[in-house]
Amino acid sequence: MKATSDPVSSRPDARQILPVSLTREFLTVVISTVALIVLCRLFAPSSISYGALAGSLPFAAILVIVGLGQMLVVQQGGFDLSVAGGVSLAVVVSTHIPAGNNANLLPAVLMAASFALAIGVANGVLVGLLRLNSIVATIGMNALIYGGVFAVSGGIPRSTTPLLAAIAGGDTFGFANSIYFALAILLVVTLVLKKTVVGRRYEAIGANPLAARAVGLHVRLHQMMAYVYAQLTYCIAGILLAGITSQPTAFQGDSLLLPSVAVVVLGGTSLIGGRGFPVSTAIAAFFLNQLSQFALAIGVPYSAQTIIQALALGFGIAVYSFR
Amino acid sequence: MRVLFPKGKIAVASAAAMLALGASAAYAETPSWCGQKKASIAFLDGFGGNSWRVITTASAKEEALKCPSITQYEYADGQGNTQKAISDINSMAARGIDALVVFGDAGPAVLPALTSVYKAGKVVVPYRVVVGGEAGKNYSKYIGASEKEDGVSWANWIKSILPSGGNVLFISGPAGNSQGLSELEGLKSVLGPEYKFINPAPFDVTNWDPALTQQVLTAEIAKNPKIDVIVSDFGPSLVGALPVFKKFNRSIPPIATSDGNILGCFWTDNHADNPDFKLFTVATGNDNARLAVQWAVALATGGTPPKEEVFVAPHFEDSVSGKPSMVQCRKDLPGDIYLSAQMKGEDQGKLINK
Repeated sequence: MKATSDPVSSRPDARQILPVSLTREFLTVVISTVALIVLCRLFAPSSISYGALAGSLPFAAILVIVGLGQMLVVQQGGFDLSVAGGVSLAVVVSTHIPAGNNANLLPAVLMAASFALAIGVANGVLVGLLRLNSIVATIGMNALIYGGVFAVSGGIPRSTTPLLAAIAGGDTFGFANSIYFALAILLVVTLVLKKTVVGRRYEAIGANPLAARAVGLHVRLHQMMAYVYAQLTYCIAGILLAGITSQPTAFQGDSLLLPSVAVVVLGGTSLIGGRGFPVSTAIAAFFLNQLSQFALAIGVPYSAQTIIQALALGFGIAVYSFR
Repeated sequence: MRVLFPKGKIAVASAAAMLALGASAAYAETPSWCGQKKASIAFLDGFGGNSWRVITTASAKEEALKCPSITQYEYADGQGNTQKAISDINSMAARGIDALVVFGDAGPAVLPALTSVYKAGKVVVPYRVVVGGEAGKNYSKYIGASEKEDGVSWANWIKSILPSGGNVLFISGPAGNSQGLSELEGLKSVLGPEYKFINPAPFDVTNWDPALTQQVLTAEIAKNPKIDVIVSDFGPSLVGALPVFKKFNRSIPPIATSDGNILGCFWTDNHADNPDFKLFTVATGNDNARLAVQWAVALATGGTPPKEEVFVAPHFEDSVSGKPSMVQCRKDLPGDIYLSAQMKGEDQGKLINK
């Protein structure tokens, strides 16, 4: 896999005029997803029925949000393995603190957000300023966050507050509210990253921190902020997840760690940093979610379901590696 | 969690424990399984991190403290870590505890530790999870739960509501878990070929995770236009997934499962809109721990062991016959409690809210 070497190119390019640039990464993930939909249509038509999509898309939306957070970190050449803890903490804070009382939901959400900020800053300081290896720093942070998860919940799941279930698990115009949340976050990330000075600097630093420092950009600050943005997205994902599942466990984030990295890779963002592909990442999240629905719908044994998903992931990574 | 009764002050300490537990006059009578010999007991959990475990652990403690001969009660949580579970077993024995009740989540992996502790002269009672080995050689007594019996109970109820057969969807926890396999054996011993299992054999895998359950159930509902009954061994995890039926404009089908307050309340709120939604539950089995404690205490203190050697989960709710109980819902209490347990709902609520 090669780093994208020209992230802040000023070359005039007809493709850049479109709202989503038709990059190779974007086309690959779109073609794969269309192919998957065709496969679903042929072999498991039930998996793309309205009911099936209505049931599974909220989970795709969660993966989109988490994936975008992870992408922002990967763009800076890092990894955030504290995603499991970040999501789980938001889940337990937003369910245990209100304890079924709608009036306490807002304070709980604010509390979850402030925890996310604090964790993000801590991760950022460790990796961005103190130059610790991101894998080591965030895996340690993850253990620390799980301490918090136990302190809040004792490991016990708690039923969701009715208001949160209505906001996160409800529908508007026939689509789950979580999908709108995911689209809104996608829009914000895309616009900021691609259309603002801060975003362009962010990508430039990811592509080449040394050159960025030479031209006087605040490299460490941007690298630090990556972890803060990431934790904030995990927090939103956790709160939504708490609303979607009516009795979430205290370890609900665990199953998101691998998929969060997978969608970033499938979306085409280089693991050594550089340009980010938010729209591709979001489509990759839909792809991964639909793939598991496909495996479930064709009714193969659980072992085969796992193998199908692993093969697809391996294939996705291979596509980018052999170019 | 530690309750230590200093020697010579046992009567006072016991009385204090009774007060602390809000005990009634029933505690004053010494149960037959409680002998005269003084003993200490430890309850070793393989994984303590959910409400079911918390209530089960508290039930075990409540049961042990009914016996005044118990001088010390200890608890350890293996936190789902096999190595820690093994080290907990060894360290409790090293500390001189006389009887160990072990929830051997790690299965046969804890057997060597149990065997060595048993050979060192301790009373060892593994319960609920099969650890291999045999009683009298590797441990004192194994107190299992009859999961096959649960399957038989569900199957009999299914036969009563669907006498001419139908499509059965069976969902359980992690792939290949022994509980799900035993339940399936029970189901199949009663249900003939006219009952078609529409899940991939042996059962749909959910890891008992509510999010995964929701995804699996969505796929099954989309795939199968006709689901006549759902069988699940963890009822509360279904609650997040059942509203999916509405998205397909279908009624929730009858469900045979285990109890939980959140499920009872869900039925209460939704059965009017879902004409086919009938509910049958067996007790989730928190009281399995009580039977195991009774055996351990009896063997350690020289009491008379209980007659039962296997915990058979009693039937709990049936929305069709109303027997032994109509569906129960306590909206004033948390969803994560089990009204089938001996411990009062209010007491469970306090534990969960701690």
